[in-house]
Amino acid sequence: MNNADNTLIRAEGLSLHYGKKLALDRLNFSIPKGRVVGLLGHNGAGKTSLMKAMVGLHDHEGQLSVLGFEPQRDRVKLLREVTYIPDVAILPRWARVEQLIELMSGLHPKFSAERARTLLKRTSVKLTDKVKALSKGMVVQTHLALIAAVDAKLMILDEPTLGLDVLSRKAFYEMLIDEWCDGERSVLISTHQVEEIEGLLSDVMMLNEGKLVLNIPLDQIDDRFVALKHDPQAAEAIAAAHPILRYRQQGESAALFDGAPPAHVASLGQRMRPSLVDLFVALTRAPEINPQR
Amino acid sequence: MPTWDDRQPIYRQLADRLAGALLDGDPLEGDPMPSVRSLAAQYMLNPLTVGRALQALTDDGLLDSRRGLGLFVRAGARDKLRALERQRFLEQEWPQLRQKLRRLGLQMDELQWEQA
Repeated sequence: MNNADNTLIRAEGLSLHYGKKLALDRLNFSIPKGRVVGLLGHNGAGKTSLMKAMVGLHDHEGQLSVLGFEPQRDRVKLLREVTYIPDVAILPRWARVEQLIELMSGLHPKFSAERARTLLKRTSVKLTDKVKALSKGMVVQTHLALIAAVDAKLMILDEPTLGLDVLSRKAFYEMLIDEWCDGERSVLISTHQVEEIEGLLSDVMMLNEGKLVLNIPLDQIDDRFVALKHDPQAAEAIAAAHPILRYRQQGESAALFDGAPPAHVASLGQRMRPSLVDLFVALTRAPEINPQR
Repeated sequence: MPTWDDRQPIYRQLADRLAGALLDGDPLEGDPMPSVRSLAAQYMLNPLTVGRALQALTDDGLLDSRRGLGLFVRAGARDKLRALERQRFLEQEWPQLRQKLRRLGLQMDELQWEQA
C-alpha cells in the first residue's frame, strides 16, 4: 500500500521544537493517496504543529516529504498542490464572495473560478453576499468551496468545523466527501468531534503529547483492538488481563484490549466493535491517570 | 447525523440498511443504485466503507455491475433478500424470541396476529 508512487506524505523521525519545548517527538508515518485521515489529539498534543510543518510554516528536524517536496525549501511549489485551512483562518469581512473568487483566480494558478461558483451553488451563499453578512457556517462553507476549487492533491484542514452547529458541520462534510474525495486526492483533518467523523475516515492518527500513539486504517481497528462488554462479576478477572481501558457502555461494564485477550478472558464477555472515542480516551489520557503497564 | 451501533462493522450496518431499503422497493429491481459518492455524502461515510457495503450486497447476489454504468438492482433481488431475511430470522432471532415466549408462558392463541 505504501509504495513510493502512492505516498503523498512521508515522515521519518520528524520532530519539532518551540524553543526548548518539544512539540513533536520523532514521528514516523506515511499518508498514501485517496485517504481521509483523521488527526486526533487533545489541545496541545501537536496537531497544529504537525500541519504547520507539512505546509512549510515551521522548521523541523528529521525527514519530511510532502508530495516529494521538502516543505520549507519548496514552499511555493508545494502550495500549488496542497491546500490548507489553518485553525485561525479568516476571510476578509469587507469582501463579497465574487471578489474572493477573483482574488483566488489571481493568486493561485490551479484555482478554477467556475468550479468555485459551482460548489457554492450547493450552499445558500450568494456570490453577491459580503463575508460579514454570512453566518459562521456559511463562511466555513465558502472557505471550503474556495479551496476545493483548487486542483490539488492534498487538503489539510485544521479543526475546520470548530464552533459550527450540527447542520453546518453536516453540510461541510457532505461537500468534502462529495466534491473532494475521489479516490486519488487525500485529506488530513483534525477535529475534536471524534464520534461524528469516525465513519468518514479511512485512517486515524492519534497524537499524545507530541508522540504518535496510534496510526491505523479504520478497517484494521477491529483486528487489533478488542472491546468486551461483560458482567460486573467478571470485572476482577478482566482487570487482571490488563485492558488499556475499562469503561461503561449503555450502563454495562466494558473493557478494551490492545491485541486479543487470553481465551478464558475473552469468553467472559461479549465482543463489540471498539469505538474511536474509547480508543481515543484509552490512548491519550494524561500520563498520571494512564500509567504505562 | 446517522448513528451506528457497536455490534457490527459500519460497512455491514450500511449494507443492512441498504438491503432494508431494497426490500421496500428503494430502488426498484432493474433500477440503478445511487452512486458511491452520493451514498457516502448521505450517510457521512468514507467512500471506501460504502464500496465495501455495496460489494457485500453484490456478493449476496442482490446487485449487478454493468460495465461503465455502475450497479443495478438485480431482477429477483427482493425475493432473494426476503429469503435471506427469513433464514436469518429463523436461525438467529426466532430462537431468542421462542425462549422469551416460553419464559413468559405465552401460547400461540394468546398472540394477536391481526393488526390493531
